[in-house]
Amino acid sequence: MKKILVVDDEENICRLYREELEDMGYEVTTVCDGTSALDAMDKAVYDLVTLDMRMKGIDGIETLRRMKEKNANLPVIISSAYEEFKNDFGSWCSDAYIVKSADTTALRETIKKILG
Amino acid sequence: MDPVDKRELTILSEIGRIATSSARLEEKLQRIIDVVMRGMEKDGASVFLLDASGKNVTLVAAQGLNQESIGTLTFPLGAGIAGWVAQQKVPLALADPYSDPRFQYVPETGIERFRSLVAAPIMDEDRCLGVIFVLSQPAWTATGSEVTLLTTIANQISGVTKSTQLFQSIQDRLAELATIHEIGMALTSTLDLAQLLSLIAANTTQALHARGCTIRLVNLPEIQSLTGQSVDRFVSDAVRDLDANFGEILAARTVQERRPLLIEDIRNDASLAFIPDRPAGSLLSVPLIFHERVIGVITLYNPEDGSPFSEDDLQFLATIASGAAVAVENAAMYERMEYLANEAKARAQELSILYDVGTAMSATLNLDRLLRIILTAATMGGTGLGFNRAILLLTNERTNVLQGMMGVGPSSWEDASRAWTEVARKHKSLLEWIQTGELFEPRDTEINAIARTIRIPLEPASGVLAMTALEKRPFNIVDAASDPLVRPGLRDILKVDSFATVPLMAKSRAIGVILVDNMFTKRPITEHDIRFLTMFAQQAALAIDNAINHSNAETMNRDIRVMHEQLAQSEKMAALGVMMAEITHEIRNPLVSIGGFTRRLARKLTDPEAIRYIDIILGEVARLEGIIHDNLAYVKNVSPLFTRQRLNPLLDEMLAVFEEEMRQRGIRLEKSLADNLPDVEMDAQQMKQAAVNLVTNAMEAMERGGLLTVRTSLSAEKNEVVLEIGDTGPGVSSEAMHNLFNPYYTTKVKGTGLGLPITHRVIKSHKGTIVFRNKETGGALFIVRLPLPKEA
Repeated sequence: MKKILVVDDEENICRLYREELEDMGYEVTTVCDGTSALDAMDKAVYDLVTLDMRMKGIDGIETLRRMKEKNANLPVIISSAYEEFKNDFGSWCSDAYIVKSADTTALRETIKKILG
Repeated sequence: MDPVDKRELTILSEIGRIATSSARLEEKLQRIIDVVMRGMEKDGASVFLLDASGKNVTLVAAQGLNQESIGTLTFPLGAGIAGWVAQQKVPLALADPYSDPRFQYVPETGIERFRSLVAAPIMDEDRCLGVIFVLSQPAWTATGSEVTLLTTIANQISGVTKSTQLFQSIQDRLAELATIHEIGMALTSTLDLAQLLSLIAANTTQALHARGCTIRLVNLPEIQSLTGQSVDRFVSDAVRDLDANFGEILAARTVQERRPLLIEDIRNDASLAFIPDRPAGSLLSVPLIFHERVIGVITLYNPEDGSPFSEDDLQFLATIASGAAVAVENAAMYERMEYLANEAKARAQELSILYDVGTAMSATLNLDRLLRIILTAATMGGTGLGFNRAILLLTNERTNVLQGMMGVGPSSWEDASRAWTEVARKHKSLLEWIQTGELFEPRDTEINAIARTIRIPLEPASGVLAMTALEKRPFNIVDAASDPLVRPGLRDILKVDSFATVPLMAKSRAIGVILVDNMFTKRPITEHDIRFLTMFAQQAALAIDNAINHSNAETMNRDIRVMHEQLAQSEKMAALGVMMAEITHEIRNPLVSIGGFTRRLARKLTDPEAIRYIDIILGEVARLEGIIHDNLAYVKNVSPLFTRQRLNPLLDEMLAVFEEEMRQRGIRLEKSLADNLPDVEMDAQQMKQAAVNLVTNAMEAMERGGLLTVRTSLSAEKNEVVLEIGDTGPGVSSEAMHNLFNPYYTTKVKGTGLGLPITHRVIKSHKGTIVFRNKETGGALFIVRLPLPKEA
């Protein structure tokens, strides 16, 4: 079973994503900030990460950079309420950029495409 | 003693007495023949003298003959008894002259009263000076001793004649000298050339009893040819034609030959043979020579007594001429100096005006005030330029139109005389006038109204005002009615026949035109006026240009202020945008939860009514998300911020950060930043990031130290700024080169591999290019080219 790490400081989003992705048949771990996410990566190996941008503590860009340092091949999908982070070069090394929406179709399809 | 001897002694002693008297020659001769007649106890006696030509003998004294014949009775040598004796130089005694073939009877003389005569030549050495006669009413056959007596008496008379003639010539010479002296005195009495020439002409005419005189001056000092000579005439009507026909020709010849010229008789003169129909007349022509230079010619016409001029006259005139030449030269010199002095004075006056106007003009940058100063100076008499009215027009380069800005001048004669009287009365300088008040009411004058109505396209067809600006030269319109350059419209509003225009030239651009006229005084506008006005206009134009530039600078400042305000406004907007982004973010997350969970809920519900409610909720959530999307689309345009700035300081600042790290890693920096690079349009943050990435990349390539080169330059085409960053690392393999700007591709052990893609994207968003190559000497070289702003 592929493992997905969901990083978001909104508890409800974490729960929504978990339920949606578990429905798809993935094993989902959720954390609520960047530091916890990096810690989690040390404890387990994930196949994919969904990453919020605006978080307390280290933000999504920095988290992304450190994640890529740890594992350059780990696919990361940015999931942000902000559309303008697309202009931030820091976000470019992500594999996809998805604006959060109540309709999770785009998220689910992107994950399916990356994980095959 | 023989009675003849005794008589002889008496007569000779009488003659001796008469000879020493101071009487004139004619009077002496008269008294001598009286003595002779009575001494010889005869009834008549006479004396003929040879005239100046030496060809005739003329009766100069007579006793017993009609006195009217004295001076008129003349015999050529050889004719009549007198002529025969004068020619043969021998005495002749005729008891009956009437039967002698040599005798010529002239009834007017009354000779028929006498029966017999004796004649003896008056000899000087072997030259005959004349003849003396003794006449007898009774028949008389003269004895040998009587003839001898008369011959002796003739010798005595010769002496008397000679000494008297000598005395006479000394007297004449003295009189001449006196005349020359008088003329000399006269010549030094004036330095006025015209007056002097008249004086010379009058004096010489009088002294030589001529009918007229012409003085021609060769133009001083440059031209020596006679063309362009000036003429001063002192000619009576009687000789006007002579001067017209011969004056010029003879003057030319005199100048050429540089010597006095005597023409005794124009009609018979061979040198004038080429002129047909020559009248009678005599001429003297003498050059006026000063320092071996012919400065003129003085010509005299026809003595009053009708006789020809003599060599003596010529000599006399030459003497006067030499003195006159000096006087004329002096007077001419004085005249030139006076002219130069006046010129200098006028220049000084003009300079003082220009100085005053310049001072006044430099005191203000207010265009309206400046134009008023300029026009006041142009219209002020005395210390100003003194035109009656002046109009100033400025060119509008944007609309290509010449626009009347202001007019200054009186509206009527009354206004004019009031203003001019005031100027004369108050003795204020131009500067004071300009500083303390207005000569004319500034606003509501007629000329100002006229000026402001003028608005004409800047093209040749518009007439003289446009031509002045287009051809950048003054125009002096003398007759507006007939001048094709003056359009009827302008003529109608100016209501003058003559006016002048000059361009206002600033930095070789015609920024406007000044028009001036003398509507009230009608004084013609001279070339000198135009020259001075042009000079004035040049100064005025510079001041106007200054004022306009100043006003432009003020406008620019205003624009900048407005831009600042707009910028502040947009900053506010940006802040608002950031706030909105925050708010929408805050709203979007709950919306995602609401919508997301509602969808999940929908999958679990089967109640159609509940599903309908859920659809409503999801529809509304989608609508809200749409609103947020649109809002953010608006807000996100806030960044990036492009501004124009220099690349080099940004690089300096960036490299300074790496100094310590480079030292530690044994990397030397070779920095060569070109001076005076043009500004580049860029987002400084992004560009710094791009440069940091390239430098980091280069440093990481040189793990064991090396040389980092950073260069900037202007491209050969001068349209790009070029930044080169090179290292002395291993370079890049051909495989890696393919993926150099690909995200996530990295050959490095650490790092994201994002550096170069970010740099690539930054450069692309700046419309620049980035290329890479391996250096021949080893190491990598990145070349970034940033375009210069289009208008720079």
